[in-house]
Amino acid sequence: MHRAHSVSLLAVCSILIGCASHLPTMNSVQPVPRPDQIVSFDRLYGENCSACHGANGQDGPAIDLNNAVLQQLLDDATLHRVIRDGVPGTQMPAFGESAGGMLTDAQVDALVAGMRRRWASASLVHPVQMPPYTSTLTGNTARGQQLYQSDCRSCHSGRRQQVTDPTYLALVSEQALRTILIAGRPDLGHPGWLTVGGGRAITDQDVTDLVAYLVSLRVATPGQPYPEQSETGKTAPHTQEK
Amino acid sequence: MSRLKQIYSWLDHRLQLGKPLIEMAEHPIPNRTASWWYVFGSAAFTLLLLQIVTGILLALVYVPSAGEAWNSLNFLNHQLTLGWFLRAMHGWGSNFMVAVVLIHMAQVFLFGAYKYPREFTWTLGVFLLLMTLGMAFTGQVMRFDQDAYWGLGIGASIVSRVPWVGGSLVHMMLGGPIIAGATLSRFFTLHVFVIPGLMLVFTFLHVWMVLKLGINEWPMPGRVVRRSTYMAEYHELTTRDGLPFVPGGVWKDAVFSAAIIAAVAVCAVVFGPFGPSGQPDPTIIQTVPKPDFFFLWLYAVLSYLPPSLETPFLLIAPVLGIAALLGLPFYAAEGEKSWHRRPIAILVLTTVAVSFGVLTHLGTYTPWSPHMDAWSGGPSIPARFLHTASPLEREGAVVFQAKQCRNCHSIAGYGGQRGPALDDIATRMTKDQLIRQVLQGGGNMPAYGKNLSPSEVTALVSFLETLHPANEPAAADAAQAAATGPSGH
Repeated sequence: MHRAHSVSLLAVCSILIGCASHLPTMNSVQPVPRPDQIVSFDRLYGENCSACHGANGQDGPAIDLNNAVLQQLLDDATLHRVIRDGVPGTQMPAFGESAGGMLTDAQVDALVAGMRRRWASASLVHPVQMPPYTSTLTGNTARGQQLYQSDCRSCHSGRRQQVTDPTYLALVSEQALRTILIAGRPDLGHPGWLTVGGGRAITDQDVTDLVAYLVSLRVATPGQPYPEQSETGKTAPHTQEK
Repeated sequence: MSRLKQIYSWLDHRLQLGKPLIEMAEHPIPNRTASWWYVFGSAAFTLLLLQIVTGILLALVYVPSAGEAWNSLNFLNHQLTLGWFLRAMHGWGSNFMVAVVLIHMAQVFLFGAYKYPREFTWTLGVFLLLMTLGMAFTGQVMRFDQDAYWGLGIGASIVSRVPWVGGSLVHMMLGGPIIAGATLSRFFTLHVFVIPGLMLVFTFLHVWMVLKLGINEWPMPGRVVRRSTYMAEYHELTTRDGLPFVPGGVWKDAVFSAAIIAAVAVCAVVFGPFGPSGQPDPTIIQTVPKPDFFFLWLYAVLSYLPPSLETPFLLIAPVLGIAALLGLPFYAAEGEKSWHRRPIAILVLTTVAVSFGVLTHLGTYTPWSPHMDAWSGGPSIPARFLHTASPLEREGAVVFQAKQCRNCHSIAGYGGQRGPALDDIATRMTKDQLIRQVLQGGGNMPAYGKNLSPSEVTALVSFLETLHPANEPAAADAAQAAATGPSGH
């Protein structure tokens, strides 16, 4: 009787010990990493970019990064520089540690690489050459105005698409205007360079002239909440064309 | 068998412990005291033993150095078989111990057990409570992570408020001017040697007095404690209607203690160990440290107090509280024990318990901190607000994010909760009211007039004006519409 008891006790003990040695060591849960060691694109993008550029690079208030044309337009160095240093004078802040942000160079690289992997398309070929990211040409304001009247006004005359609003123009850089003219906002249904000119692809010179025209509409004191009333006798530029 | 008996009598002849131990085990307890209400003290003692055993096992692996502590905890969690379970048992054991000690104290207070001749038992109990809380705080420091680091920072800043000697006290507490290796060594010494040593001595005396003076009898209305007669009355009660502690009352203690240990084990398996959270590095500022649950009430109190009252509260309230607890048995050593005749005691206990519960709840769930990542991370503003927006309004949404408005104001359920949610702000405020609020702040909001350019404010407000439900128009200023005429803006 006693012997049977001790045998069964021994058996139970050895089963318990056997189970214990196979219990999880919590390997599934990783130790909390240092924030500067995180290089997962999803995590970095979700913590630093998604609020402005949209959860999947689309439908955010700032430009859509999930746009193959945009991804083709910007080279790695430019993308890296913009993330690291931001764009002074606009709302794009500097994220790089060297510029006072929180991301290391490796993390900025991880963001660039991740965007390329997800949103760039190597097979994207255009029938005509795409205008470059930056231009060496000089803008012609008068020609830009003509182009605007002929190609852009049909959509942009409505109040909802008022790109000539000097307050808007004060908040965006020339480069941003150029980039959005070329890349468009497909997520919002806004056309890019191939179709924006009434079905005609626009050239480097067209883009440069249009940007020069828009920049010429900037005013010395932008941001007046009631421009019609504050500038008595002198109407603001964007009300002129109504 | 007779061989065992021989060894026993040989030992006992020399140790002389058998008789007193048997006496203790058989000491009489009043019949009605063999109740489930009297199990919390022994449960606290059982938990103390559990903490000692698990603590010793943890100390075999834990490295009390600022550079290694965090790694050794992760080693326990992730590399060592059942290391996580050991940490979880110690952590949950600590939480249970604080809770059981508090319940034990509430029960002793409710039953008037601190009255003559048990005043000093209560006094030692108060010190044991303080030591339990001290163990809890120093234990939180042993878990050398971000919560520990910033918890120490709060502790140090509380100590620094002591007039005249605050600076020196902080230096003494931290072992230097900053939280570093010396701080951890100091708290390790407190947690492993000083406080447990004192606790064992105090616990021994506490239990000794319970055994020698007898357990408190069940309070009956009208059975009044008087110094002159109490001892005789208690003796008469235990001889007339008493039973020996073993086996009369001990089985309830044993069952409850076992249940508590089982509960600790279940919590440990289900919820796992506490932390460690991120590394204790002050250069990592992406952290929202919070104290463990037994100090959340303090966290809540400090959040609600106006700044001018913080120092008086921190320095005076604990002194008064401890003095009141220590003075209680000497102020009310005689009189009624029954709660039926002690309305003020009931009110005090209820007030304290409800306050503790409410403040802990507030400390757990109130979103005091802004959501510091909401400006750059998480879901963006819903597409329905952006797809039909003008370029200026969309730029305003970018300003809203980039200037970190969302850290305090949520939209579509995401963002901070320091300020009101803005999903339908346009139905509540007109354009001019929005401009004024952004520029000048007000309520609890800072003024942003100096941080935003006129263009940014205009863009931001034009975006905010779009935040209204589709079937509910934005608020408009009727007077302005009348003044500027039908063609007005």
